[in-house]
Amino acid sequence: MIVGDLSPVDIRQRLEGPGLRITLGPLVAEIWSTSRLVQSAVEAVYAGHPISDSGEFADFHVAVRSTGGIRRWLKPLVEFGFDGAPPVQPLPAGQAFPLLEWGLNWCVASHCHQYLMIHAAVVERAGRALVLPAPPGSGKSTLCAALVARGWRLLSDEMTLIDVDRGDVIPLPRPISLKNRSIDIIGRFWPDAIMSAVVHDTIKGSIAHVRPPLASVDRSTERAVPGWIVLPRYKPDVATKLEPLSKGAAFMQVLANAFNYSMHGRRGFEVLADFVDASESFEFSYGGDLEAAIDAFDTLARPL
Amino acid sequence: MSRAAPWRAVAPQAIAWREWDDELVVYDDATGNTHHLAPLGGKVLIALLTHPSGIELPALLQVVADAAGIPDARLLAPNVEEALTEMAGLELAACDPA
Repeated sequence: MIVGDLSPVDIRQRLEGPGLRITLGPLVAEIWSTSRLVQSAVEAVYAGHPISDSGEFADFHVAVRSTGGIRRWLKPLVEFGFDGAPPVQPLPAGQAFPLLEWGLNWCVASHCHQYLMIHAAVVERAGRALVLPAPPGSGKSTLCAALVARGWRLLSDEMTLIDVDRGDVIPLPRPISLKNRSIDIIGRFWPDAIMSAVVHDTIKGSIAHVRPPLASVDRSTERAVPGWIVLPRYKPDVATKLEPLSKGAAFMQVLANAFNYSMHGRRGFEVLADFVDASESFEFSYGGDLEAAIDAFDTLARPL
Repeated sequence: MSRAAPWRAVAPQAIAWREWDDELVVYDDATGNTHHLAPLGGKVLIALLTHPSGIELPALLQVVADAAGIPDARLLAPNVEEALTEMAGLELAACDPA
């Protein structure tokens, strides 16, 4: 059963009652919330995700709940709860769904050390992973959404999970987070995209989330082998250019975006070095021409 | 820096590295640090790792020159000394007193 099989009333009753258990790739999150904003956003962007029974194991038990008190009548706040304890500062109630998504990111980044985790979007074609490691503002989520719109399989728009034993990428397809101008850009580029309501004035500006394609969620157990590492650099009015990057430089860039490399010690080095070794690496400059960007990536993935 | 004293890798058993073309990326298990060495620095470190009991500078220059395909090892002396000083700062290399 998937979230989309439930009626809005069923979703609300689960979120407000025992919790809604959503399968996110290799993980299960039990989500509890009385926020109508969370309920409508979950309905919109998690529709394709499998749900599991309340008796099954859940990796994370999370809640987005009102902080209560007199403030709820003046400027209501919501907080993110993880196993009962809030790990982040409360936010205005209107930001309940972004708070849930950021909280889930925190859960994964703080607890899933069985994987080597890279702050990178990752998509797949022909079994090979295209990893886009980059800091905020580089346009990785915009590129990721555009690639997914053109048929690349979404593995994650935020976190690349590398299996330290096998060296391949484990899918964690969750809603794609778009910010500010990217929301309209992707709205025009991918008119069929289903998005959550735009939330304004967050710490990151305006935020909306895009529902991952069903084909990506359905294939959540299909891993991808290393394919390409591409460092995107968005600069307005820059021509689209894909240039080879040395493996040493690619390694250091991926390392700079790793969440838990040091926790794995020498093993982490070997796993990451093997990953870079097996990938082709590039720098990618673009000024916002998404069609040209997709052409460049499609050319990379085209069989010789 | 004494020219007569041998240079050695600080903890050869703690070093893991990967060489791609002329680049060397090094992981040092003793410090937990990872370094991206320039081509000459990479050849210097590999020379030290292959001489775990230490190697004096003239011999090291010759090993590096051979690896780099440079006929006159003396030409490399300033750059190799600079690389050694940098690696000493990174706790990858040390100069044992004579």
